[in-house]
Amino acid sequence: MTPIVSARGLTKRYGRTLAVDHIDLEIPPGRIVGLVGPNGAGKTSALKAILGLATYDGELSVLGKDPSRQRAALMEDVCFIADVAVLPRWIRVSQLIDVTEGIHPRFSRARCLEYLAETKVTLDHKVKQLSKGMVAQLHLALVMAIDARLLVLDEPTLGLDILYRKQFYTSLLNDYFDEERTIIITTHQVEEIEHILTDLIFIRDGRIALQATMEEVEQRYAELLVRPDVADAARALGPLYERELFGRHIFLYDNVSRDRLAGLGELHTPSVADLFVATMKGGAS
Amino acid sequence: MKRLLALIHREFWENKGALRTTPLIIGGIYIVFLLMSIFTTAHFDNELYTFREAVRLLAEQPAEFRAAHGQEVMLGSSLFFTVVLAFVVFFYLLGALYDDRKDRSILFWKSLPASDTLTVLSKLLVAMVVAPLIFWVVFILTQVVMAVIASLMVISVGENPWTLFLSVVNPLKAWFLLLVSYLASSIWFLPIYGWLLLVSSFAPRIPLLFAVLPPVVFAILQIWIDFLRTFTLNSNLFGVIGEWVANSPAILSVGVHDGRGMLSLGAPLNKDFDHAVTVANIFDRLLSLQMLAGLAIAAIFLAGALWMRHRATDS
Repeated sequence: MTPIVSARGLTKRYGRTLAVDHIDLEIPPGRIVGLVGPNGAGKTSALKAILGLATYDGELSVLGKDPSRQRAALMEDVCFIADVAVLPRWIRVSQLIDVTEGIHPRFSRARCLEYLAETKVTLDHKVKQLSKGMVAQLHLALVMAIDARLLVLDEPTLGLDILYRKQFYTSLLNDYFDEERTIIITTHQVEEIEHILTDLIFIRDGRIALQATMEEVEQRYAELLVRPDVADAARALGPLYERELFGRHIFLYDNVSRDRLAGLGELHTPSVADLFVATMKGGAS
Repeated sequence: MKRLLALIHREFWENKGALRTTPLIIGGIYIVFLLMSIFTTAHFDNELYTFREAVRLLAEQPAEFRAAHGQEVMLGSSLFFTVVLAFVVFFYLLGALYDDRKDRSILFWKSLPASDTLTVLSKLLVAMVVAPLIFWVVFILTQVVMAVIASLMVISVGENPWTLFLSVVNPLKAWFLLLVSYLASSIWFLPIYGWLLLVSSFAPRIPLLFAVLPPVVFAILQIWIDFLRTFTLNSNLFGVIGEWVANSPAILSVGVHDGRGMLSLGAPLNKDFDHAVTVANIFDRLLSLQMLAGLAIAAIFLAGALWMRHRATDS
């Protein structure tokens, strides 16, 4: 299958700093990819390159197109929500739907109205009259009414309360996602998206620190909870990262067989958040 | 085409105040002033004696005289519309590629499959065609309402408005002249429109400053260097822009043509063009060398604006 996104040596420079440093990347269709990294790691720079919003060096192909030259054509198949607050504030909801319908050949007014009917957003509202959560709902309704192949969400729920956040991801998963579509999400609230992800990419200092499917993550990584007296034995197995919680030592291992660990204490699959901290602080990938 | 129309719609919605409300307010002011002057006259002159005399005198004039002056009055009353239209277009273009960068909604607009070229084109078309058309239509509506009021006044003093002016003055000719003048001016002023769009596409803040300061600094330097060289003060950017306005096909001033004071195209300060308000004189400007040079400059500015727009994001 042809990949949705394919990058070779993708690089983005701002002056002398390398925001994205020779990234190789391949995202197949039908995946939900979490792009996770600390602030300034290059997530947004990479996404902007993918969306044709920035220049870059290296090879990049999105749905077989060159995003820096063919942004308009690409946007027929790609949707993105860059931030919760980017809908123009002066516009009326009905006008927003009219203009999207006029420009986007794959936009379905009926579906958009269906999604909006489940919210408190009305056609007469102006965007500036809506709360942050309602703006996010409106934007999601617009985007879900577009029959696109790639959806890119860059911190789509930033500043929203937990109710809106949950609902946002629920409707995304239930009403939108299928095997034909690919979603790339960046967010700092990893705990909220980890159960919907199929793939995980960690970015640090413009480089990919980890790229794996969630199944691979489950197979490769293990978290071990041990009492202090066996800590040294656990340490001897070469953990990626170690921390202490309520007098217990927690070790995170990469590629250590579970049989060897099981005797020492309690075994878990680590959460994405813990794995992230371990990868960022532990160094090795 | 459907996309372009949608984009033009979006411009209209965003700038409804400037594009629609402004001309309506001017039309309203015209009508209110007409009514106020009628009430003032009626207040000091119960029998409307002066007005009656004036109408009688006018009716005695030959039809050609009334036709010519009627047209002058009709065209002359467009002046205020034209000047305000120029301001509206100026500020519209300054904000056209700036506002959505400032409020970051550019990230939404760029998520739609409309090319940057189409977006810039839609903004240019609003400035060149849509805004003048709206002002023109409201101007006509205003004149129709004023003609009705004037006719009622004439009837009230016992004269016949039909024979006095309605059948004599051909409004279509004046309206047509104004429309041609508006559209020709849009082409004539393309270099300035291009400059404004260019500034709008890159200014990090206060586009007005970026639009006005460079030409001012440039012109002052020119004047200074010229003065050092020749001890005279003439050719500089201010002079060039001033001359450009004076040569424009917009109906802007009153000058002397055929020994009579009449409305003029631009301002009759030099002999480069014939300033009488005729379609031929308007086209004369569009087919001139100046226009060709102006279009070349406009093309450079617009290409710059497009290039900037292509690279623009929220940051």
